[in-house]
Amino acid sequence: MSDSTVVRPHALFRSSQCTSKMPQTRSASLRSATARSSTPPPDDSPPSQVNSLSPSPSPPPALSPLDTEPLPGSYFHPSHVPITPCTASWTHHTPVPAALANGEKACLGVDEAGRGPVLGPMVYACAYMPLDKKDELAALGMDDSKVLKEEQRDELFKLMESHGDWIGWGVHACSPQDISGCMLRRAKHSLNALAHDTTIELIRETIARGINVAEVYVDTVGPPASYAAKLQTFFPGIRITVAKKADSLYPCVSAASIAAKVSRDAALKGWKWVEGVEKVFTRRFGSGYPSDPNTVKWLNEHVDPVFGYPRLMRFSWSTCVKILEDKAVGVVWPADEEEEEGADIRGYFAKKDTPAPSIPRDTLLSSFKHLSRV
Amino acid sequence: MLEARLAKASILKKLLDAIKELVTDANFDCTDSGISLQAMDNSHVALVSLLLRASGFDHFRCDRNHALGISLASLGKVLKCAGNDDTLTIKSEEDGDILQLVFESPNVDRVSEYDLKLMDIDSEHLGIPDTAYDAVVKMPSGEFQRICRDLSVLSESVAIDVDKEGVKFSAVGEIGSGAIKIKQGAAVDDDGAVTTVEMSQPVSLTFSLKYLNNFAKATPLSDTVSLNMSADVPLLVEYKCSEIGYIRYYLAPKIGDDN
Repeated sequence: MSDSTVVRPHALFRSSQCTSKMPQTRSASLRSATARSSTPPPDDSPPSQVNSLSPSPSPPPALSPLDTEPLPGSYFHPSHVPITPCTASWTHHTPVPAALANGEKACLGVDEAGRGPVLGPMVYACAYMPLDKKDELAALGMDDSKVLKEEQRDELFKLMESHGDWIGWGVHACSPQDISGCMLRRAKHSLNALAHDTTIELIRETIARGINVAEVYVDTVGPPASYAAKLQTFFPGIRITVAKKADSLYPCVSAASIAAKVSRDAALKGWKWVEGVEKVFTRRFGSGYPSDPNTVKWLNEHVDPVFGYPRLMRFSWSTCVKILEDKAVGVVWPADEEEEEGADIRGYFAKKDTPAPSIPRDTLLSSFKHLSRV
Repeated sequence: MLEARLAKASILKKLLDAIKELVTDANFDCTDSGISLQAMDNSHVALVSLLLRASGFDHFRCDRNHALGISLASLGKVLKCAGNDDTLTIKSEEDGDILQLVFESPNVDRVSEYDLKLMDIDSEHLGIPDTAYDAVVKMPSGEFQRICRDLSVLSESVAIDVDKEGVKFSAVGEIGSGAIKIKQGAAVDDDGAVTTVEMSQPVSLTFSLKYLNNFAKATPLSDTVSLNMSADVPLLVEYKCSEIGYIRYYLAPKIGDDN
């Protein structure tokens, strides 16, 4: 069984989906969500393979040696983050907190992690709790995830999980593949538009789960006023606050930012190469920001002239485009060219054997004489 | 040796402007009947053919046939140094590796000499067959340039339909569609320039606007352009330049269904 996922050296970049890697720890609450449909694998094995909605019908197969390979350093891996390759975007919602089960008014914060980096998923999270518990949340020590150390974030996240009776949250991870796909497809979708859609979808899903959302706090993407107006049209009855630095101003946004950041970190640290390049690719890609020297180093060392980068990469980022232009071989798409511009003109005119310097005068003239009619 | 003198340097400047976007390096083939050039763009979709007849020069002498391989960008830079009204003399030896250019100002008080290094260029020469085109449209070159520019906002390609009444250019794109119909015999601009259509049968062909816009860079050479079309053969776009010769562009039609 487990043989099927062992790396075959001659097929480093094979793009098959490893069917034996089933999520081990997650249940029906995990949803493979939105974007999968955009790139359905052509002729595929049973639908049970990646992040499927329903629990696996058969017991998950044993992990291959590669899946159990120790990850660099020990890190906190929250159970909601899939350990399967993140090719499709996924969403996870906590169970409805008991304190909100009977229509108690809730405030909800939304924040994101990993918007700027050139690699890895972009994670959006929302966190919600009863309106009157706002202060209690602040007392837990919630703060902007950027000013907290990693261990503090992990601790606060565990704290949030332990207060599951009144704090609920949801996470949506946009896979790098979906981000690239969105931004590069014919009718392009900007990152901002993707951010807005994801936020709206998270709020909608939370409401659909029976939470009586009364107030929404969002860290701004683009100008706050127009974003707030946009959100207001989608959620007319809810008090919307869109602000810069909302993650340090409102505890519920801080909580969301922690959930997002912890999820992104875990997704990156436990990154599974769908290409099967474990043996040759390191995970020392740093923060993923194009300004991070570790990231730049990784990008330069791991570019393949023919295959480019694995699906960890956001191919729509100019950093990535530039490196590929510089270091990878160019690709010619003859079919596209013909379709775009026209056919090869040489197909219409016979080739002359005589090269330029020795063209006899008559040949040259005769080729023009007949055309001088017009 | 080759020695050729043009009364106005501006002619060569305009010719160069008309081809340098399409072709980077090319051989100028010199014979005692004149200078010609044939080259394709990088993707081999378009072919440009240029002729300067010996009779169009003030003075022309070419003892033996030879080719001058020239970087058009470099020639363009040197020609920038010539005034439009300067006389231009070019000289080269058959086995030399330079082209000498001499610019003389109209009252001959300033003489500038430039030497341009020549290159060895491999080029494919194509024989252009005798074609009786189904439709020949002659129209003001400025009008053609404007049509190509205007339709570029909609699409990458233009459909050209010619029938008895005139010629129609149309483009369909994601944001919408547009069409420009020019009636035969109607004056379309202030000069009273007229569009004429000679045709044996209607034609309907689709071409890349990117290339047509490139061809339209020859507009300053001539007030009139002729579009010569038959089904399934390359479009010929010709600009005649005064008495001296012409520039002709050939463009393969787009294949497949024309949106």
